[in-house]
Amino acid sequence: MVIFLGKRLVYMLLTMLAVSILVFLLLEVNGEAVATKVLGPYISEEQRRLWLEANGYLRPWSVRYVEWLGRILSGDFGESIVFKVPVAGLLAQRLANTGVLGAVVLAVMVPLSIALGVLAGMREGSWLDRSISFVSVLTTSIPEFASAVLLTFVFSYWLGWLPGISMMAEGFDPVQLILPAMVLILYGFGYITRMMRASMAEVMQTAYIRAAVLKGIPFRHVVTRHALRNALIAPFTVIILQVNWLLSGVLVVEFAFAYKGFGALLLEGALNQDIYVIEACALVSVFVAVATQTVADIAYTYLNPRIRFT
Amino acid sequence: MNIEDLRKVHVAIPALVEDLERGRLGRRDFLRTATLLGLSAGTAYFVAGKATGGHAVGPVRAQGEPRKGGVLRIGMSVLDISDPAVYDWSEKANVARQIVEPLARVGSDNITRPHLAERWEANDDVSEWTFHLRRGVRWNNGDEFTADDVIATFERWLDPATGSSNLGRFSGLTITEGGVTRIAPGAIEKIDDHTIRFKLQRSMLAFPESLGDYPALITHRDFVRSGGNLIENPVGTGPFLLESFSVGEGAVLKKRPPSEYWGDEVYLDGIQYLDLGGDPAAQIAGLASDQVDLLYTLDIALLPAVRNMPNVKVYEKVTAIAGFARMRVDQKPFDDKRVRQAIQACIDHQRVLDLAYQGLGVKGEDHPVSPIHPEYSELPALVQDYGKAKSLLAEAGYPNGLDIEINCVADPKWEGNVGQVIAEMVAPAGIRLKVNILPGGTYWDRWTSWPFSVTQWTSRPLGIQVLDLAYRSGVPWNETGYSNPEFDRILDQAEATLDVGERRELVRRLQQMLQEDANTIVPFWTKIFTASTDRVQDYEYHVSREQHLEKVWLS
Repeated sequence: MVIFLGKRLVYMLLTMLAVSILVFLLLEVNGEAVATKVLGPYISEEQRRLWLEANGYLRPWSVRYVEWLGRILSGDFGESIVFKVPVAGLLAQRLANTGVLGAVVLAVMVPLSIALGVLAGMREGSWLDRSISFVSVLTTSIPEFASAVLLTFVFSYWLGWLPGISMMAEGFDPVQLILPAMVLILYGFGYITRMMRASMAEVMQTAYIRAAVLKGIPFRHVVTRHALRNALIAPFTVIILQVNWLLSGVLVVEFAFAYKGFGALLLEGALNQDIYVIEACALVSVFVAVATQTVADIAYTYLNPRIRFT
Repeated sequence: MNIEDLRKVHVAIPALVEDLERGRLGRRDFLRTATLLGLSAGTAYFVAGKATGGHAVGPVRAQGEPRKGGVLRIGMSVLDISDPAVYDWSEKANVARQIVEPLARVGSDNITRPHLAERWEANDDVSEWTFHLRRGVRWNNGDEFTADDVIATFERWLDPATGSSNLGRFSGLTITEGGVTRIAPGAIEKIDDHTIRFKLQRSMLAFPESLGDYPALITHRDFVRSGGNLIENPVGTGPFLLESFSVGEGAVLKKRPPSEYWGDEVYLDGIQYLDLGGDPAAQIAGLASDQVDLLYTLDIALLPAVRNMPNVKVYEKVTAIAGFARMRVDQKPFDDKRVRQAIQACIDHQRVLDLAYQGLGVKGEDHPVSPIHPEYSELPALVQDYGKAKSLLAEAGYPNGLDIEINCVADPKWEGNVGQVIAEMVAPAGIRLKVNILPGGTYWDRWTSWPFSVTQWTSRPLGIQVLDLAYRSGVPWNETGYSNPEFDRILDQAEATLDVGERRELVRRLQQMLQEDANTIVPFWTKIFTASTDRVQDYEYHVSREQHLEKVWLS
């Protein structure tokens, strides 16, 4: 087990290293471009060269890479060109914001989709199953930017129940989280529900479930005590992977509701070519992706005693 | 007030009054020119009223008594405002102008009035301006506002190392020797603590107007010494103090103790700027759910939606804002005038306006003087002529058409529309135009260098200002590379001509030169819009989207 864990961690580190080299080559190797971004286009050639020299851009790129990596590992991501503050602080704040939104979404979406999936899958082909499946597919087909507009119209303009934007201008306000969370939950629950349903339906076909039913165990107990734990294995990994989506896939929602999260930061950085922000966000996104994959793999071995990775 | 008193203010004013009485000069033009030459706005209105026989009333106030208190929340991009001298976006100046102020201010009616300056005089050929500064003005750190502050600010502007656009704006105060530009000796003379004389190398009629442009805010004499950062040291003469500021998020301003401010007490307790990001949906959602009170601007695509919202007011203004589809005359294939004229011949300006901007504006004539400018004269209409376009192209050596690209900024969206419509219009002549939509950061990085692109120019009070900023040889914002000594010569002459009719004639020649050169397609002049909730009172929308908030109150 420990060897397995060790191997996964090593793979993770190697992936991160490869990505960091890629990011560096794409963005930092061309010192001229960085200088233009940071100093602006009206600076003279002379001043640009002075800046490049002062910041060590004239040395071989392998040396610069190692130094850059060292800085990244110690938490210094440079200063944002657009926001004029250290990227590290900005990143932490925005990640926290997205984290809050993600936590709320997960807290509602996971129980909801598991419950719906179980209800759909325990009696495959029933009226309940058909309607839950239909709703799941329907909501997953509506893209976030469309549902954001629709929900804002219904709840903000028409009914006036909820605030239209989530800027949190006067400090944290949980009511402002409702609309963005609703959009994300609506979009995301269908996928997990259907995974849960498929898994549940498959488990309900197995011999041991049939035996339990024949033995006379009440149907509720068959589902909750025997089927559920086995059915949860596959959807569980899917849920962990959704965490990855909640980090960068939410940028449409964050943008539409003026929510100052990680996705909005990446978008603004990319649109305005804020090099240090883009680097930092890229590295963080890949780290989260790789980390969630690793966690999912490890959790899978625990949940399913039949699998053994040695 | 008799003619002799008027003549004492400036020799040219009596002639203006006569023109007004005889109907040779419009009332607006009279007001504009008279105030430019030093007549106070009140007196100008009075004289105009007497001359035309009508009532001399100023702008009408809204109903209801103004109420003190409240914080106005404005949805606007919050960008870095640390150095007022290098502002390149009007949004930056809007936050800063509540703290630091200009010498003169262009009102929402396009008339320039004294602000930190009390009054000014010009000599006969308008090459020397004497400014009398307002007394009793205090910086919010307690210092008194004097000529030293103004001179220190000018010295920063005119130093090439600062990188300020004011260097081009006030190029008349500088000389260039051996490739180095510096302030001309004796150009800025301190007469006393509240009087400064400016001696320009050539006549400049729009000197006060230029001082009202958004990058011309006056900073404290110790601005550089104390760090050169307005955010960290928000020392200013204005009615508000900067409480907090965060790029990309927001800014909070609070009312300065009224006794310290030189003007009337403002009604608002404070102003809060909120950066809602780039999504227009967020902007109107914010307005609808009362999370912001006022928007900086409104995309015309959102007009139908906003007009249907209860509790929301829409403001509109005809402006001299336009998208200039300009070509660099020093890059192939646009270096051949026939190619440019061919492209020009394909355009139906009214149609571009209807398709790209819902017809909300007036059509342009491929030069930068707008119908709202006093010097404007209408040129014979440009007609779409594909035959002419094709033959010009063939002459220039492109009988099989041309493959070119045009760059447009993603925001505002209508610029992309303009690009698309132009692409459709030039297609029958065999020109295959590829439209590239670039995000703001990419576009504005090298906006003067693109061979063919659409640049949005803001509204300025006088037509000669844009001619000077964009088409004079060698100035920083000359994005076409146009360099014509004859043009420069007539422009200099126009800037020294007081008589509006004569100036109009000179500007007409400049208009014709640019139109014939076809280096810029100006398809239309836009109307701009914004919106606020019903609570916002006495907000006047400005042609350049400046926000003058001293008289605004919340009901």
